[in-house]
Amino acid sequence: MEQKRIRNFCIIAHIDHGKSTLADRLLELTQTVESRDMKHQMLDTLDLERERGITIKLVPVRMKYRAEDGEDYILNLIDTPGHVDFGYEVSRSLAACEGALLVVDATQGVEAQTLANAYMAVDQGLEILPVINKIDLPSSRPDYVIKEIEDVVGLDCDKVILASAKEGKGVPEILERIVHGVPAPSGNPEAPLQAMIFDSKYDNYKGVICYIRVMNGTLRPGRNIRFMATGGVFPLEEVGVLRPNFEPCDELTAGEVGYIVSNIKTVAEAHVGDTITEDARPAAAALPGYRKVKPVVFCGFYPVERDDYPQLRDALEKLTLNDSSISFEPETSLALGFGFRCGFLGLLHMDVSKERLRREYSVELVATSPNVIYELTTKSGEIIEAHRPSDFPEIGDIEEVREPMIKLTLFVPSDYVGKVMKLCQDKRGTYISMDYLAPDRVRLIYEVPLAEFIIDFHDKLKSHTRGYASLDYEHTGLKASDLVRVDVLINGEAADAFSFICHREAAYNRGQAVVRKLKELIPSQLFEVPLQASIGKKVIVRQNVKPLRKDVLAKCYGGDITRKRKLLEKQKEGKKRMKQIGRVSIPQEAFLAFLKVEEDEE
Amino acid sequence: MRNNVGEEIVHRLAVSGQEFSLYIHLPFCARKCPYCSFFSVVPRNGEIEEYCRLLHSEIRFFGERLAGSGAPAGTIYFGGGTPSLLAPADWERLFKCLRKHILFDHKVEITVEANPDSLSESHVRLWKEQGVSRISVGVQSFFDGELRWLGRLHDADRARMALAMCVHSGISVSADFMFGLAGQSLRSFSTSIAEAIALGAEHLSLYQLSIDETSRWSDNPPEGRKDGYPFYRWSQWYLPKKGFAQYEISSFARPGKECLHNSSYWTNGAVLALGAGAWGYADGIRYRNERTLTGYAEAIRRNGHSVAEAEIPDACKRAHEAAILMLRTARGISFEAFASRYGEETLSSLLRTLEENAPPDCFVRSDASFALSPKGMRVANALWSLIV
Repeated sequence: MEQKRIRNFCIIAHIDHGKSTLADRLLELTQTVESRDMKHQMLDTLDLERERGITIKLVPVRMKYRAEDGEDYILNLIDTPGHVDFGYEVSRSLAACEGALLVVDATQGVEAQTLANAYMAVDQGLEILPVINKIDLPSSRPDYVIKEIEDVVGLDCDKVILASAKEGKGVPEILERIVHGVPAPSGNPEAPLQAMIFDSKYDNYKGVICYIRVMNGTLRPGRNIRFMATGGVFPLEEVGVLRPNFEPCDELTAGEVGYIVSNIKTVAEAHVGDTITEDARPAAAALPGYRKVKPVVFCGFYPVERDDYPQLRDALEKLTLNDSSISFEPETSLALGFGFRCGFLGLLHMDVSKERLRREYSVELVATSPNVIYELTTKSGEIIEAHRPSDFPEIGDIEEVREPMIKLTLFVPSDYVGKVMKLCQDKRGTYISMDYLAPDRVRLIYEVPLAEFIIDFHDKLKSHTRGYASLDYEHTGLKASDLVRVDVLINGEAADAFSFICHREAAYNRGQAVVRKLKELIPSQLFEVPLQASIGKKVIVRQNVKPLRKDVLAKCYGGDITRKRKLLEKQKEGKKRMKQIGRVSIPQEAFLAFLKVEEDEE
Repeated sequence: MRNNVGEEIVHRLAVSGQEFSLYIHLPFCARKCPYCSFFSVVPRNGEIEEYCRLLHSEIRFFGERLAGSGAPAGTIYFGGGTPSLLAPADWERLFKCLRKHILFDHKVEITVEANPDSLSESHVRLWKEQGVSRISVGVQSFFDGELRWLGRLHDADRARMALAMCVHSGISVSADFMFGLAGQSLRSFSTSIAEAIALGAEHLSLYQLSIDETSRWSDNPPEGRKDGYPFYRWSQWYLPKKGFAQYEISSFARPGKECLHNSSYWTNGAVLALGAGAWGYADGIRYRNERTLTGYAEAIRRNGHSVAEAEIPDACKRAHEAAILMLRTARGISFEAFASRYGEETLSSLLRTLEENAPPDCFVRSDASFALSPKGMRVANALWSLIV
């Protein structure tokens, strides 16, 4: 197919604004999928996506379309992940396209993240075609939304398409607009090969499958290809296109989108954004924009049943075959036993991974509350990366602590602005700006520590705004902050499992919350047990677990003796299952509660 | 061990020639209390008489084998169930049989448990004649509301009459009371106790309502139960002032009125157990009799005895169990007696464990013994779980 008859485009939409349904309609109309094979939300790959109605990422698909001008075109739909955790992946998907459909819900208007992705598309020089979806709904306000797109996004809406993907309205117009509005790709098929990986997945039969866009040159099976960032060289075994099933072909040439298979064992060897070139005739340079994504949010995964540890390890290994942005390493917890400390790109990424482990690998697990990585400079000038409280040196040895920050953009109905500002402030946010997108919609921008954001910001935002706010964020690097390690002492002995990092000003409240929870959960002992929270040597909170007052089964005669001994043995067994810290027995629940205490400290 | 565990038990009792305690279980109740899981049944016609005949045969079995050993019964305890459900005529035959086959010590303590609802004047008269020295009355409370909540068959007046009647007979009287009941207050509890003392009880057994595992309430415990601490704490404060020493965790008595039979449980004395569901102990063997009426009847007819389950704890378990039982009593562990039986080392390691893991005011230590203080008794479970 001639390059000028190819159109590479993506869909930018907020969760729930109808991306998957629109994709279904495009597949039907172009007869890419026989209608008998058609299933709802065809391109959602994960059961999870179909079920929750959220699309993390659609599979790319190649459609054949005969336009009204009588010519045949190839339309490649490449998806952008619909969530803020995957900002980098979005940028790579956009880099594979020349145009984007900006789908906005006619009842909701533009949301924060749609805006961020639309701006990214504009930055990368994509042609943007606005589509107002769901105009069939009685509460739709297309005029209002059009004005918002013009005002907020800054797009010209002269040629906006009013559509209802659900009813198929406006979909033929969208196809025509893609043909005429999105530029054909350019690129030289004869030049040295440059193909960009915009996604990869692991397949049990074929190994790693890379989804690629050929920028220059031509991919032909049989030759050796080289991954320019990782340096790996592999024989190219198969190339093909997705319709949406794998359909091998002879070659993929500049401007085309498809997949390659080349005997790669793990997705870690095929990074998103990497450039593939021909080993024999390499390109002079890699394509711009590559970077290695690093996990920013961490949490512990532990099997519910301790014996399931090996299953969890296998499942994580398999999951990372498919998603190399997840990191994991073994760790042990007093409360939970053996497990793994796992790193993710963000909260949704974490949730989705957890859910996939459960569904796809049948592993039931407990997740600890998420945290971030801190960077410290010691008095002696050493720089330390602290993953957990125990990595913090003594307070006297610390020169500076830095924590990851994000720039948080919020779209909020104006009625809720006060509450949301308060929330940001509570989360140690720094105000950057506020402007009215419309008389009743406000854009707030704050700088917030990532550590605060990941705890429960989403939930709080939802409850404060009854779900009417949307957000987007970008990482803005590390910033010095007055963070301290708070230790918890039980009967005078430091209990590692309960220490935590927080801002000095929050130390008292959080220390109080932890100590209060422990006081509730540690059973009375024979002695009074002091519980303290301290920063270094300075005690900031103290409470006591009152000693046991009465614990006796009063009567005991002939028949009771054996029964009573059994009861005592049971009691002792119960005590054995508790952890001893000094001479204090601490029940499992206390450790579990601590993992959640920060969430309900209010 | 001998093939026949009954023979073995009787052999161990006979060999020592020492005084032993005799426990006789009378497993009949007019109605089962919802919190209780002791073995008892509501008797059908003729069942009590049949049971008594089997009991006679069991008494004969052991009596014949003990004869000649010179071992006398130092204490006899009729527990239940509700022993007062047996008619006076049954009692008469039972005593006759006992005296015929078992040697009574000349100062034998004989205790009978009685419930106010089934106790009659003729019972008391007969017991008096037969040399019963203690009657333990299951009063539980002198408040109708509390008694109703507990599902007891008697009311407060009935309990008063029963208690007075027993005291009047000249037999020493003990009264059982429960605390931690719904609606119970320290005031009502103290009123009950004071009234029992005023009526002439010389011994009190006080215990917290506990719901046994297989009882009617165990699956569906009633609401409103109270923390036992204030009641127990109050009793420890009040009763000594009234001349009732706490000689064991749940037992208070005027001097010389302690129950010797129960004390023998706490010092691992030999107990010959007769009747269905009864527990006994003979020189290291802890055993239980068949606990259904049919099982009991069959066993007696087949073997002459009904021992159904016997356990011989190893030396270590035995030492720990002995320590725990002795620590129930105010006398506690006598160093000499304990060490001679279980070894110096066991003794000192036990004491070390206790003293290292509990506050010092839980214990009273003298040159010769080690016991729990009143405070220690209040948290005894936690202390015992250190050494079980």
